[in-house]
Amino acid sequence: MADEVGSIPELDLKKYDADEQVKIICLGDSAVGKSKLMERFLMDEFRPQQSSTYALTLYKHTANVGNKTVAVDFWDTAGQERFQNMHPSYYHTAHACIMVFDVQRKITYKNLVNWYKELREYRPEIPCCVVANKIDADLKVTQRSFNFGKKHGLPFYFVSAADGTNVVKMFREMIKRAVDYKQNPSDFMDEVMQELENFDLEKKEDNSAADEDGLKAESPETV
Amino acid sequence: MSFEAKRCGVQFCPPSIVLIYQNMESKKVRKRIIPVRNFSKYSDYGMAAERLKNHPRHGDYLEGVSQSQLEKLLLILRDHMQGFTLEHSLASFRLDPDEDLNKLGDEELARKKGQMDELFEKNRRRKGDAEFVYDLEVDFNKSIQESCLKRYWTKTGV
Repeated sequence: MADEVGSIPELDLKKYDADEQVKIICLGDSAVGKSKLMERFLMDEFRPQQSSTYALTLYKHTANVGNKTVAVDFWDTAGQERFQNMHPSYYHTAHACIMVFDVQRKITYKNLVNWYKELREYRPEIPCCVVANKIDADLKVTQRSFNFGKKHGLPFYFVSAADGTNVVKMFREMIKRAVDYKQNPSDFMDEVMQELENFDLEKKEDNSAADEDGLKAESPETV
Repeated sequence: MSFEAKRCGVQFCPPSIVLIYQNMESKKVRKRIIPVRNFSKYSDYGMAAERLKNHPRHGDYLEGVSQSQLEKLLLILRDHMQGFTLEHSLASFRLDPDEDLNKLGDEELARKKGQMDELFEKNRRRKGDAEFVYDLEVDFNKSIQESCLKRYWTKTGV
């Protein structure tokens, strides 16, 4: 517990050092392995266990994309998927989405339609992918074609959080796409957010003047 | 000292977790009976599992046993205390591919997760394992993969 508290300022520092910051969300039914995938990618980096009773689990990660340092916030549902809908704040300012289903349970594939629909209501343009998890249970599934991704033009990955197949590849590609999206948003609201962020930085540089005016340079993302 | 958990089970009387493990230094396989104290039919199985994982004397031995596996065993124990049969408990863990798990409560979901975790742990490659590759990439469009799969098909007689 003490460890956890102690590590927060350090993580925040990292965040300020990064050239870019992105938010990536995970969607999918209960027990498809969203957290397991996250933990497999982050390995030792991941935070101590968090119970499903919390509405959200946040994982912080620092990645290198090209020659840039990118602070990535991964958002995991932590059981919130059981309340039918995700809270709108879950989608707010997300730059990419990873949609997961369990190849052993048909219903989790069928439910992707609902997840995708909800995602697009809030984030019509962000990059998204479809992840077929637990292929270690039966490799034969990799011969089958899952058309949901193709139908919506989304990249598709066969992965296994248990043995690690394609997990790191998938996460790295999604981080890159999240950064690309943030730099070239195709959604009007995101362009506004990007503008505000830049505006905010300019303001911070001119901090003393702003203080005199009684203005506080607040990040538009802290709600 | 490092221990490798081989098998982990539950015993009703007295309530205990039974662990078969190998001491990696001496290579000896041993059985350890870990009493589950202050546990009643009203207890929280998650907290109890956490207590075991963090136990000063037993914790190290249970490192290779996942939280959900312990939870599953404690659920069986609690079911027994509530008067349910072992068959009943095992049936509650069974997975139906068409069942929507989003609709389950915490405890029912934990039962299913515990079941899934067994396969996960079985197939898991851990850091430090000889076959562990952090960035493992497999292209499932390649023909090499298909030939491997063909062999798999004949083996199962399909």
